[in-house]
Amino acid sequence: MRVLNITVNGIPRTVPLEEGRVMLSSVLRESLGLTGTKVGCGTGQCGSCTVVMDGKAVTSCTVPAEKAEGTNVLTIEALSEGGVLHPIQQAFVEAGAIQCGFCTPGLVMRLYALFTENPDAGDEAITSALDKHLCRCTGYETIVAAAHLAKKKMRGE
Amino acid sequence: MTLQHVGKNVPRVDAVRKVTGEAVFVADIVLPRMLRAKVLRAGIPHGRILSVDTSKAESMPGVKKVVTGQGCGMLFGTCLWDQPPLAVDKVRHAGEPVAVVLAETENQAAAAVREIKVEYEELPFVLDPVEAAAPGAPLIHEKNGSYRRVEYVVHPIPGSNVFHRYKLRKGNELDGFAKADVTVEEEFEFPISSHAAIEPHGAICRFGADGGIEIWASNQAPFVLRDVLADMFGIPAAKVRVHIPYLGGGFGGKSDICIEPMVAYAASFVPGYAVKLVLTRSEVFTGSLVGRGMKGRMRIGAKLDGTFTALKAQMYFADGAYGDTGWPVDTVAGHNCTGPYEFPNVTVDVYGVYTNSPNVGAYRGYGHPEGQLMSSRLIDMLARKLDMTPAEIMRKNFLSEGRKNALGQTIKKSNGDLSGCLDAVEKALAEDPLPANGERYLYGSGIASMMKSPKMAANAASTCHVQINADGTAFVNLAGIEMGQGVQTVFAQMAAEALQIPMEKIRIYSEVDTQFSPWEWQTVASMQTYRGGRAIQDACGAILATAKETAAKVWNCAPALIEYRNGVCIHPNTGATFSLGALSRGFMAPDGLTVGAPLSATGWYRVPEITEPDPETGMGNAAGSWTFGAQGCTLRVDRQTGEVKILHFASAFDVGRAINPATARGQVTGGVVQGMGAALMEKILFTEEGVAKNVNFPAYKIPRLHNAPEKQTVVLLETPNEEGPWSAKPMAEHPIVAVAPTILNALRDATGVEFTKLPVTPEKILEALKTGKEGI
Repeated sequence: MRVLNITVNGIPRTVPLEEGRVMLSSVLRESLGLTGTKVGCGTGQCGSCTVVMDGKAVTSCTVPAEKAEGTNVLTIEALSEGGVLHPIQQAFVEAGAIQCGFCTPGLVMRLYALFTENPDAGDEAITSALDKHLCRCTGYETIVAAAHLAKKKMRGE
Repeated sequence: MTLQHVGKNVPRVDAVRKVTGEAVFVADIVLPRMLRAKVLRAGIPHGRILSVDTSKAESMPGVKKVVTGQGCGMLFGTCLWDQPPLAVDKVRHAGEPVAVVLAETENQAAAAVREIKVEYEELPFVLDPVEAAAPGAPLIHEKNGSYRRVEYVVHPIPGSNVFHRYKLRKGNELDGFAKADVTVEEEFEFPISSHAAIEPHGAICRFGADGGIEIWASNQAPFVLRDVLADMFGIPAAKVRVHIPYLGGGFGGKSDICIEPMVAYAASFVPGYAVKLVLTRSEVFTGSLVGRGMKGRMRIGAKLDGTFTALKAQMYFADGAYGDTGWPVDTVAGHNCTGPYEFPNVTVDVYGVYTNSPNVGAYRGYGHPEGQLMSSRLIDMLARKLDMTPAEIMRKNFLSEGRKNALGQTIKKSNGDLSGCLDAVEKALAEDPLPANGERYLYGSGIASMMKSPKMAANAASTCHVQINADGTAFVNLAGIEMGQGVQTVFAQMAAEALQIPMEKIRIYSEVDTQFSPWEWQTVASMQTYRGGRAIQDACGAILATAKETAAKVWNCAPALIEYRNGVCIHPNTGATFSLGALSRGFMAPDGLTVGAPLSATGWYRVPEITEPDPETGMGNAAGSWTFGAQGCTLRVDRQTGEVKILHFASAFDVGRAINPATARGQVTGGVVQGMGAALMEKILFTEEGVAKNVNFPAYKIPRLHNAPEKQTVVLLETPNEEGPWSAKPMAEHPIVAVAPTILNALRDATGVEFTKLPVTPEKILEALKTGKEGI
């Protein structure tokens, strides 16, 4: 049987892969029980399944499992390990950026990748990151506010 | 007394669970002995099933069972029983399920689905509702008219594809148009669209050894689902248990029964196993429910001073292969197509038509956006004919105290302030004057007003159970579904207010379970704050009455003399107090002797005196509440690309009272963007062969951040009223109702072209800029 060797949220894992096409999203959700990663479209368009792979935001529903071999993946569960919200998560709560919550983990992970790589990411970079996601509830207003609040919090402002 | 919790922007009670990924949605649930389901869909829009060969699929690795509709005699429904859980002898739309494979993994089930062979005799198909309603159209249901139905409300025309006809007759149309100095008339289209909640539909069902059914589903109507399954399988409702986890958006797309009967039917063949199905995004388009699908014509007559004399409308709904979820939308579209205006004479005919497309069900606004697209656009056209502003015509005809709506109901002052809403929108838009048209860009502004009333069963009610714990905390249990609208948060605010205790002391039950939750009709029609809130008030009132009775027994005084304030009962003379916690199990003296009832109470609310419309006139007390509003926008059209940018979108609604202004604003900003998608982007397209083709993102475009308005203004008016809890009225679907006509009115201002068919895409705008008129 095929296996995938992958480090998820700091823990090295060896995951058996079934026959046929297996995506990183289903490894995370089905094999590892990390259901905070959501699947909304299966084609990388809605962004709900976004996780951070080797420092980059990726849509895990379009990453074939074998392409994740040897990588280091962070999911939403890692951000509040120990029960303390990450500043980005805190910003989403404070800005009222959450309605149904299905798109939320993906957005948080996208911003995590963005602000980790560049804490000074400008408005354009923030907009372009958020534009990779679909939210049907909020009209985006509060999500944009949350992103800017998150940047401030991460910079300790 | 000053409000402590109601009217405050408290943080959502579900926010932390959702932002950490901890909130459980149906796709996250794993049960012991769980099989995964994959569905074979027809792939052709209309045909007779000649044979289904599942032999190869059954022998595939991991496959436990292949279920087809062969021999299935069940039809399910709530008011019209016309749909089998799986196609039996015919397929009526390309997304109709024909077989379900149950296997150990999704991949195994999918592989087996590919090996099922079905032979069809293809039949002529029809997608257009006007063509489908015409004589000689291919007949989609030979049995139309003879299906079991609730005869008072569903009115089929046998021998045709019209499975529901609603007519409204107020006053005399001929007299009304005879009195008119000016008339405007136009045809309109609101295409079939997807709710596109980001969470796809899912269900997990298990038949127990005791013959009971347990189901977990992404559904807004657990008790309806329970009763539908009990009816379908001929078992007592007491043997069906429905669990509803968090919903990743609903917008009505999860309010009707759709995939659950199919999943349950498949699960019935493998008792003891749980069967899980989560739709792919493509299947959400083809195999769940869609919205709108209206083709209509409307005519308005007015005097020279702008006073309306008559309205006549016809609407045809492409309601899809089965009609149970479409007919009430059709009726409501008829009730409310007049918008927030008085028309003395009204004639409306609505036809719910079977078409070879996915079933239309509830979609945010429920018939109101479809009908009011027509009236709101026609008022804009009328204004130019009369040389008045649209706002002047609106103000002249607004529903206001003493005026009668299309159903003949008399409006009270407390029903809301339309003029105030319109004033607020005009004031907001005036803040950013439009730039002059230039080489590259054309600019325009438009406005529209709206009303929405909830459509509900006449006996629809909410019930609530409240229980006080010994430490003074309160458990509050209702079956309102949290699907993003914030119902759990406003429930907590209202319970805290009614009990006069801090929010932290309230626990709102977060998973709805028909075994433990008190009965609720369903989470639709924007009714949870309003109707659920009244049920909370009722239950909390009963708690406080019991607390006072117990305290009165201990203090040996009359209960009426006891004051209750901030969580304590106060002795009329001594000022001694008992906390709610101290009275929670009755009052126990030091020796153990206990008096008084435990603090556990139920409450309920039903909007009073609702009736179904009269079958002859279509009029009656069919709506128990109205929320009024107005919207306006300024926008910019790019002459080179045809792209539209909304510069400023302003909305004002008379919500009676905003229980949580921040979440109410979130409803508006989200509804506006969703409505903008309908106006400019969204339409399910079909191939020549009758198969839906743009069935994923981005082929079906919904608004992203870069599409959103540059600025939104939201004004919430609060006219006191006797109806809602602390005056709060329905406010959730409303922000979508007038968005499309607002934008189309602004596009008329910018381009001079009268757009009447949605969506107005960049291609359509470029063509219109060339030809000066709307293309096909």
